Amino acid sequence: MMDRRLFSHVPWGLLVALVLLFGIGVANLYSASSLRLEDGLGVESYFRKQLVWGALSAGVFVVGVAIHYRHLRALAWPAYGVGVLLLLGVRFLGKTVYGAQRWLDLGPLHLQPTELVKVAVIVVVAKILSRMEGYLGWRELAKVVAAALVPAALIYKQPDLGSALNILLIVGGMIVFKGLRPAVFKTLAVGIPALAPLGWFFLKEYQKQRILVFLDPTADPRGAGYHIIQSQIAIGSGGFWGKGFLRGTQSQLRFLPEKHTDFVFAVLGEEWGFVGSILVLFLFCCFLYQIYLVTVEAKDEFGRCLASGVFFYFFWQVLINMGMVLGIMPVVGIPLPFLSYGGSSLLVNFCMVALVVNVAMRRFMFKR
Amino acid sequence: MERFKPSQDTPLWAGPNVLLVLCVLLFATLGVRLWYLQVVKADVYRDKAQENRIRQRVLYAPRGVIRDAYGTLVAENVPAYAVAVVREECPDIEATLDQIASWTGEDRQWLQKSFEQGKRRTKSFEEQVVVSNIPFDTVARIEAERHHWPGVSVVVRPKRFYPTGALLAHVLGYVARANDKELAQDPELLLGDNVGKLGVELALERRLRGHKGLEEFEVDAVGRELDSRRLRAPVPGEDLRLALQLPLQRAGVRAMAGKAGAVVVLDADTGHVLALVSSPSYDPNDFVTGISHQRWGALVEDPLHPMQNRPIQSAYPPGSVFKLVMAGAGLESGAITASTTVYCNGKYAIGNRVYRCWRRGGHGTVDLRKSLRESCDVYYYALGERLGADVISDFARRCGLGEATGVDLPHERRGLVPSPTWKRERLGRKWVGGDTINMSIGQGYVVTTPMQIARLVAALVNGGRLLRPLLLASDTPEEQGRLPMSDATRRMIADAMVAVVREDGGTARMLARPGIRVGAKTGTAQVVKLMDRYEKKDTEDIPYKYRDHAWLAAFAEKDGRHYAVVAFVEHGGHGGSEAGPVVGAMLDALFGLGEAP
Repeated sequence: MMDRRLFSHVPWGLLVALVLLFGIGVANLYSASSLRLEDGLGVESYFRKQLVWGALSAGVFVVGVAIHYRHLRALAWPAYGVGVLLLLGVRFLGKTVYGAQRWLDLGPLHLQPTELVKVAVIVVVAKILSRMEGYLGWRELAKVVAAALVPAALIYKQPDLGSALNILLIVGGMIVFKGLRPAVFKTLAVGIPALAPLGWFFLKEYQKQRILVFLDPTADPRGAGYHIIQSQIAIGSGGFWGKGFLRGTQSQLRFLPEKHTDFVFAVLGEEWGFVGSILVLFLFCCFLYQIYLVTVEAKDEFGRCLASGVFFYFFWQVLINMGMVLGIMPVVGIPLPFLSYGGSSLLVNFCMVALVVNVAMRRFMFKR
Repeated sequence: MERFKPSQDTPLWAGPNVLLVLCVLLFATLGVRLWYLQVVKADVYRDKAQENRIRQRVLYAPRGVIRDAYGTLVAENVPAYAVAVVREECPDIEATLDQIASWTGEDRQWLQKSFEQGKRRTKSFEEQVVVSNIPFDTVARIEAERHHWPGVSVVVRPKRFYPTGALLAHVLGYVARANDKELAQDPELLLGDNVGKLGVELALERRLRGHKGLEEFEVDAVGRELDSRRLRAPVPGEDLRLALQLPLQRAGVRAMAGKAGAVVVLDADTGHVLALVSSPSYDPNDFVTGISHQRWGALVEDPLHPMQNRPIQSAYPPGSVFKLVMAGAGLESGAITASTTVYCNGKYAIGNRVYRCWRRGGHGTVDLRKSLRESCDVYYYALGERLGADVISDFARRCGLGEATGVDLPHERRGLVPSPTWKRERLGRKWVGGDTINMSIGQGYVVTTPMQIARLVAALVNGGRLLRPLLLASDTPEEQGRLPMSDATRRMIADAMVAVVREDGGTARMLARPGIRVGAKTGTAQVVKLMDRYEKKDTEDIPYKYRDHAWLAAFAEKDGRHYAVVAFVEHGGHGGSEAGPVVGAMLDALFGLGEAP
C-alpha cells in the first residue's frame, strides 16, 4: 500500500505550515493558561493536554495518510449515517455544557460529534459533486443542499448555530468551487442576500443579542459586549512589536473567560503584536494556498472536491474566529484551528489535513 | 511556474480560482484590520490597557422607608461603614487582611473565610466588602492609614434602623445580610447586600428594595478616578405607609407587658390592621448588624419564644369564642331559634360520660342570648350533639377558620378545623361523641390563630364580609368570602355579644364604655384536660404551663365605624379577667379615652 513513489508527492509546504501552526498554538496556550494562575488552575494544564491530543492526532494523521482516499467513497454514506445517529444520540443522551447539548459522555472521553459530522458531510458532498458533470443546475444543487441540511438542522437544534452555519458555509463553498450554471449563480447571488434578513426569526434571543452587541458593543459593556471590547483592547495594546511572550498581562484580559479557546488569538496579538499576528495570518494563508494547489493538481474529481471541502473547512474557521476577535464579525463560538485549545477539534483538524495530503500524494498514481 | 497563474479555462467565480481569490481577500481584510488595531490605533488601546482601566461601580438604591399610619418613621436607613478591598490593587492580600483584622478587631480566621467566600462573587477589580458595619472611630483610623494599603477602601452603605425597636418587631421583621442561598436565587443581589428576612421586610422585599444602578468610570495607574458615566440610574425602593397606628400598638404592648400572647386590632370595615402585638418581642436592630451567638442563643432558648409571631403563627384552641360559630351554625341550619331553650344543671351526659358546665351550679333555663352572655357550656353540648361534627366543621371552615388569612406576613399558620374524616385520615382513629362535645366549646383538636378570630369578629359587624387583613394604608379592601350567616343571624349574635358587656351575668362587663357599642366573647382554652387537681384553686396557684389560655374577642362601634379587637393571653387563666383588661386598654387607646397614650 505504502508505495515509495508516494513520498515524491508529499506536499511538504502544507506539512511545514501545519507543524508551525501547531507549534505556535501550543506555545501560545502555555502563555494563555499561565495567566489563569490566580483562578487556581494549573499553569500547564491546557498546554499539556493539547500536546497529548497533538500526539494522538499525529498518530491518526499517519493512519489517515496511509489509507487510499478512494476507500472513503465507499465509507462516505455509512460515516454520514453514523454521524447523524451520533447527533441524535447527543440530543437524547448528551451532556449539557454552557446550556447546549453538544457532548457525548463516553467514560473518560467526551466526544463532540459535531466535529466528526463535518468530516462526514464533506466526504459525502465531495462524493455527490464528483459524480456530477459540468456546472450544477437547480436539481443537482437541491441534492447537495439536502445532504448538508439534515445534520445542519440537528446541530442547530442542540443549539449550536455557529456549527450549523459552518456546515452550510462549507458546503456552499464546495458548490461554488464545483461551479453553478450562470443562471443559477445569478439568482442565488441576488436571492440569498435578499432573503437573509428572514433568518433573524430563526435566531435565539442570545444570538440576536450577540448580533446587536456586535453592531454596538457599548450597548452591553458588562455582558455580551465585554468580550469584543476586551479582546480588541488586548490586541490593540500589543502594538507593532507586542509585549513579549508571557508578558501580555493586560489586566482586562484576565477576565476574558474564553481566552484559551475562542479568544486565544487575542493573547497572541497582545504578546506578539502586529508582527506576530500578521505572520500567523500569513501562515494560515500559505496553509490555505497549499490546499488550493492540491485542488488544482488532484488526479480525480473526488479528490478535487474533497480538497476544496477541506479548504473551506479551514477558511471559514479562520475568517469567522479572527474576524470575531478583531471585532469585525459577531461573536460565534468557533475556534481558531490549531491555536484554540480543544481535543476533538484538533483531532479533526489533523484528519482534514491528512485527507488533503492523501489526495496530493496519490495525484499521479494512475495517470502514468 | 504555470501553476501559480489562475487557470484560463474557468471563470473567477467557479473552480480553484475561487479559492485563490478567497485566500487573498482573507489576508487583505484581516491584515488591514490588524494594521488598524495594532499600528494605527495602538496608542489608544495601549492607553486603555495600561493607564486607563474601565471600572464599573454599582450605585445602590436606597431601600424604601416604612412609616406608621400617622407618618412616624418605623424603619429608616442610616449610613453604615464597611471595609472593602479591590483584590487586583492589593500587592499582598494576606498582609492586607492581617491589617484589616487589627483595625476592626475581627477574628483573622473568620476574615479569611469570609474573604474566600466573597472572592467568588466579585471580580478582582471590583470592591469586595470584607467587614461590614464598622464603628465610626475605626473608620477614622482606617482613613488615616489607608494610603499605606493600596486596594483598601471604606465604603458607605445604608443600614436599616428600626427606631421603635421591639415595638414593631413582628410586623416589620428585619433585614440582614443576604446568605449564599438568597444570593444564588436572586441575581440582583450582590455580596454584602441586606435583604428582608422576616415580616413586612421579607413579604414586601420586592417593593422596598428598588433597583441598583450602574456607573462606569475610568481610573489611571495610581487609582485616581478620571471620568464617570452613568449607565443606569438607580431606582429607589418604594416608601411604604402602614395602616398600623403606633399609639395603639404602644398601648397594646404596654397592656401585654409581662404576658405572653397576642393582640390584633382590625378596622372591621376595611380589614386594615391597626395594631398587631406579639408578646414577648425582640429588638430587630440586633439582627441588622449580625446578631451575636449569645443573643441568638438567648432568643432561641427563651421558653416564651420571643421570635414567634403569635397573632398569625400560634394556633390555640379558641375555647368559648368558638361558641360564636356554633350559634351561627345552629341558627342557619335551623337546629335552634333565638327562643330555643336548654336547661343547664351544670352537667351534660353522653353515654356513660358526664361533661360539666364551667359553672358548677348550672345556668338554669338558657336561651341563645343567655348562652353567649354567660357562656353556658351545656347549651352548646346540646347544640353540638344536634348539629353533628360534619355540619360544625363545614360551617367553621366557611367562617374562615382553618385557613390562612393571607395577611402579607411570612410563615402564617392555618390553624385546624377537625372533622371525622380528618381524624380518621390523620390520626387513624374514629371520631367519637366526645370529640363533637369538645369541639362545640372550642376545645380538643380545633385551633385558631388570633388573626383568624379577629377577621371572623370583623365579619360579624361589617355586613358579613371576610376581609383579608391589610398592612399597608394604601391597600384597598379585599373580600375573600362571605360569612355563611344571614343578616338576622349576625345581628342576633352581635346583640348577644353586646349583652356580654352590658348585661348582668355577662363575662366581659369591664369592657363597657360610654357612647361606644362594644360587644365581646370571652374564651378560656384548657391546656390540660380534666385538671381536677387544680380545678378549685386560684389561677396563681396553678403552675404556669398548666394554666388555661385566655381569649377575648371584641368589636366596637362608634360613629358608624367598626373595629375588631382580639386579645389572647397564653396561660392567662380565665378569658374575661386576663384578656379583658388588654382589650379594655386597646379600646381606650382607640377612642382616646382614659390617659392619653
